[in-house]
Amino acid sequence: MKRLFKYLKGTYLGLLLLLLYSPIAVMIVLSFNQSKSRANFSWGGLKWYYELFYESPEIIEALKLTLTVAILATIISIVLGTLGAIGIHACKKGYATMLMNLSYLPMTMPDIVTGVSLMLMFVFVNTYVYFPRGFVTMLIAHITFDTPYVLFSVMPKLKQMNPNAYEAALDLGCRPMKAIVKVILPEISPGIVTGGLLAFTMSLDDFVISFFTSESNNLSMLVYAAAKRGVEPTIYALSTLIFIAILILLIIINKRSDLESIS
Amino acid sequence: MYENTKLIELKNISKSFGDTQVLKNVDIYIRRKEFVTLLGPSGCGKTTMLRIIGGFEFPDEGEVLFDGKDIQSLPPYRRRVNTVFQKYALFTHLNVYDNIAFGLKLKKPEELLPNEKKITRRKIKAEIDRRVKRMLKLVKMEAYEKRSVDALSGGQQQRIAIARALVNEPEVLLLDEPLGALDLKLRKEMQVELKSMQQQLGITFIYVTHDQEEALTMSDTIVVMNGGKIQQIGDGKSIYDEPKNAFVANFIGDSNILSGVMLKDFEVECAGHRFECVDEGFAENESVDVVVRPEDVMVVGSDVGMLVGEVESVFFKGVHYEMKVNTGDFTWKVHSTTMHPAGSRVGLSIVPSNIHIMRRMEAEG
Repeated sequence: MKRLFKYLKGTYLGLLLLLLYSPIAVMIVLSFNQSKSRANFSWGGLKWYYELFYESPEIIEALKLTLTVAILATIISIVLGTLGAIGIHACKKGYATMLMNLSYLPMTMPDIVTGVSLMLMFVFVNTYVYFPRGFVTMLIAHITFDTPYVLFSVMPKLKQMNPNAYEAALDLGCRPMKAIVKVILPEISPGIVTGGLLAFTMSLDDFVISFFTSESNNLSMLVYAAAKRGVEPTIYALSTLIFIAILILLIIINKRSDLESIS
Repeated sequence: MYENTKLIELKNISKSFGDTQVLKNVDIYIRRKEFVTLLGPSGCGKTTMLRIIGGFEFPDEGEVLFDGKDIQSLPPYRRRVNTVFQKYALFTHLNVYDNIAFGLKLKKPEELLPNEKKITRRKIKAEIDRRVKRMLKLVKMEAYEKRSVDALSGGQQQRIAIARALVNEPEVLLLDEPLGALDLKLRKEMQVELKSMQQQLGITFIYVTHDQEEALTMSDTIVVMNGGKIQQIGDGKSIYDEPKNAFVANFIGDSNILSGVMLKDFEVECAGHRFECVDEGFAENESVDVVVRPEDVMVVGSDVGMLVGEVESVFFKGVHYEMKVNTGDFTWKVHSTTMHPAGSRVGLSIVPSNIHIMRRMEAEG
């Protein structure tokens, strides 16, 4: 009876994981197919990957845009989010709670709402000064949704920090700016790195907000556009690469939070 | 014992946080090489006073003088004082060695090596190393220099925090309840060590605590505070033997505090008895507070005592028994090495020099 129960538990979990991951597995397999057909499989090696990198300039363009936006948005949101967290941490309690809730809102808001509202703002600005929807608008939008992730990763680190650490640095001879650089930043750096990784991941695979705020294609937008025409196997290859990249990032983030919960 | 010069002077300091006034017109001076303890219950303003000296709070009114100069506008990093914080505030991203070297690395090279003509990086490193090692030795933590501070026990972290502050050779070391988190035995060891460090280094210590025994053990001067006001300043013995008011008498050690009437010089009436005492200068029939320490109440035969009463309770306290003796008008707390069972009748006797008369405490506020 006990063994049966154990067996059932295992089967249930297996079935669940199968349902979750089999679509991705099919996609990965098809990215190595010889033909475009989805009905029969014959090993084609890295054919579509080759095509992706050497014969699809628009995909490479999109990849460049995606990475540039992700890297810049991550860096800027790390600066904004960290300074914001330090500021909120220093505020009186009631005021701090209000600021925290305001910062939390963009994270819980549906992407579509964020996307549409940002689009409206950019269109509005564009009626007064030339401000086309493109790289800059996409970057601004990404910073908007990335910053809270950094803020909320840094906040707990600040709370854990000894309340007198900053004063101790001043006491030992640091000027205020130096105290932040030499003591506060190193003490909260694990939170900054985790927040940065999260922000980067969010930026990398964003579709909805980018779609509304930019007319240049990032990877997700390109895939969406391609899907309307009929999906090429190069898109499988591309999606496989994105999947692997995100997977690696998530593993790193999880390992980091494991390490932190141990120490 | 210490040079008779005023190193730090607080003049008429007041400080409020919002609506609560935590310091009210505080006046105090601290001499060079003195071990001063600010003693009082939590919320009495003692930590705020320390933070004003450290430069972390600014008084609303009054002056802070250091060596005769006003230092109110000086930020903490320009003051010749260092602080040992309540929860140590060690830097967790640095190991033991780098925590202690932190302040030295911020010093200018010519400050570190005043007699050196040609200063090189290697010489600076060697000098920092020499000073850090000396501190590690002083706090008996030589074997731990490469450890992470998170891996240390509370007592060890405490030692590193002390070393980190002392390595900068401050003129004054400020300690904010540094032993509060340690267990009793460790606390007693550290008290002795702190005192000997202070004597060895010859610098001024300002120590904040709510533990009266700690204050009596270590201090040259004790400043008893309550409600943002200084209640009494003096050495341990004078504060214990001659408390100025009922608060001090109650806070420092156990006491019997009775209300009495000063009949004339050298004679007081309290607990329904006329006692001979050694105090004078009160008005005739002035109402006073009378303090008698429990160890000064002698238990004698019920036929020879000044007072006769019944033992209400007995507790064994290790060195002595603590008894409550009801004499009708007052229940006395009595410490005695001989036990008298509850219910037995005993006589109590007090010698005149052990009766301490205080003026009535003025109303709070």
